[in-house]
Parts: sequence; structure tokens; C-alpha cells
Amino acid sequence: MSPESLDAALVESAQAGSMAAFARLVDRHQQALRAFLRRTCGDWALADDLAQETLLTAWSRIDRLKTGLSVRAWLCGIGYNKHLSTMRTTGRQRAREMAYEAEKPPSSGAMTDERLTLEAAMAELQPDQRACVALCLAADFSHAEAAETLGLPLGTVKSHVTRGRARLLAVLGGSDD
Amino acid sequence: MTDSDGRLHRLFAEDEPPVNDPAFTMAVMAGVARRRFLFDLGVLFVVASLGGAVLWSAWPVLAQHFVPLAAGLSPVVACLSLAITAVVLLEGRVTAASGLKHG
Repeated sequence: MSPESLDAALVESAQAGSMAAFARLVDRHQQALRAFLRRTCGDWALADDLAQETLLTAWSRIDRLKTGLSVRAWLCGIGYNKHLSTMRTTGRQRAREMAYEAEKPPSSGAMTDERLTLEAAMAELQPDQRACVALCLAADFSHAEAAETLGLPLGTVKSHVTRGRARLLAVLGGSDD
Repeated sequence: MTDSDGRLHRLFAEDEPPVNDPAFTMAVMAGVARRRFLFDLGVLFVVASLGGAVLWSAWPVLAQHFVPLAAGLSPVVACLSLAITAVVLLEGRVTAASGLKHG
């Protein structure tokens, strides 16, 4: 059974009320969703909280998921909207917390210098641009898939990815080949 | 994919969350179960309140018919109530044991 048809079968069971099927969907897609939100938020704890909220919302809206739609893209879309509303409502409070976090020594000792530079460069991108980069350059989404997921025009996604990629490579000191 | 794209991809992949994270899945499913429980509780509360209100408003009419019958029917009603309660409580186990329902 292909991953898509397995997803479709699990969605159908979850729509019929099966929590076991939904748990398998969570298992299959939690990594992609959490990775996307971590790259978009930059704050891992907040990203994991958002991922949990996203999956709870997905459970209550599972009936609205149309057949044939990618579960991963659907979840990332919900997660991105949650991220945007969190930024709007708690922007000031989070800014204070981030400033506090920034003063603490980094907890991720295993991070390479390059990885830290990339993280800092990602943080400087605009939220939309960051989300496009996270989907297209890190998670192998096509531009069209990312446009549908984020609710942005295709041209905007292409331009965000091109500019974001150039910015990241400039900061990392690589050639833009 | 160009070398630069490969490099970015590799850097992004350095701190991917684990493919399987039972603690995360368990936390999500506990939240789902909590939501489901609260929803069921809400539905039961509404149904019980409506039922109580209907019974209360219709009681003067019902009393005329039921009170004379109550003395004779009470043992039967008590047995039926017990049987229905047992069936409702054991439903999951009975159907699972008989292979009629999974999970």
C-alpha cells in the first residue's frame, strides 16, 4: 500500500471516529509538522506546543479533510495559521521571553556553527518567507504545494523561496549555483 | 538539486525531530481523549437537562396514568433498568469478546 493510500484509509477510519487511526496519522506526520513549525517559529518548545494544538484541531476538523488532499500539507497549513495567530496575540510577551532566552547560553551544544548561523539567518527572514523556505528547501514541498498549504499566490512563494535561499546562502558564505 | 540546495537540506536535516516519538503521540492522544470526554459530558448534560425539563413539565399529565400503574410495574421496571445498565456498561467488553467490534 502506498503512503498516500494508507493515509487515505487512515483518514477515512478517523472520520468514522477511530482514535487508533488518528493516532497512526499523528505518528506518521508528527515529524514533518514539528520540523516545519520549529523552522518557522525558531522556538522549539513553542513549536511543539503548536504542533500539539494543530493535531487537536485536526482531530476536530477531520471531517473537512477532502479525499486526495495531502495530510502533511493540510496539517502544515493548520500549523502555520496557528503560528500566525500566536504571533499576533502573544507577540509582545514572546518577544520578552525570546530576549530572555537569547541571554541564556545555548542549550543545543551539539549544534554546529553552520547550523547556528542558518538558524540565525532564518530568524531574520519575514514569517511568510521563512515558511516558504521551510517547506520548499527543507521539506521538499513543490512550490504549488507550498502555495496551497500557506494560502499564498504561487508567484509569491517562488519569489520568497528564491530570495530566502539567496539570503541564507549569502549568510552561510556559499556560492549561489 | 544543486550543491547549495543539498547543503541547505543537509543543515536543515541536522536537527529534525525523531521519526517516532511515542511521548509526543501520547500527549496528543491524551488531549484528543480529553476533548472527546468533555464533548460527551456536554452532550449528556444537555440531554439529561432536556429530558428532566420535559419530564417535569409533563409530569401532571403522566402522573394520572403512571401512578396507578406504578405499584404493579415497579419490579419489572427495576429489573429492566438493571439489565439496560448492565448491557450499557458491558457493551465494549461483550462486543469485543464476540468479535463484533474492534478497539
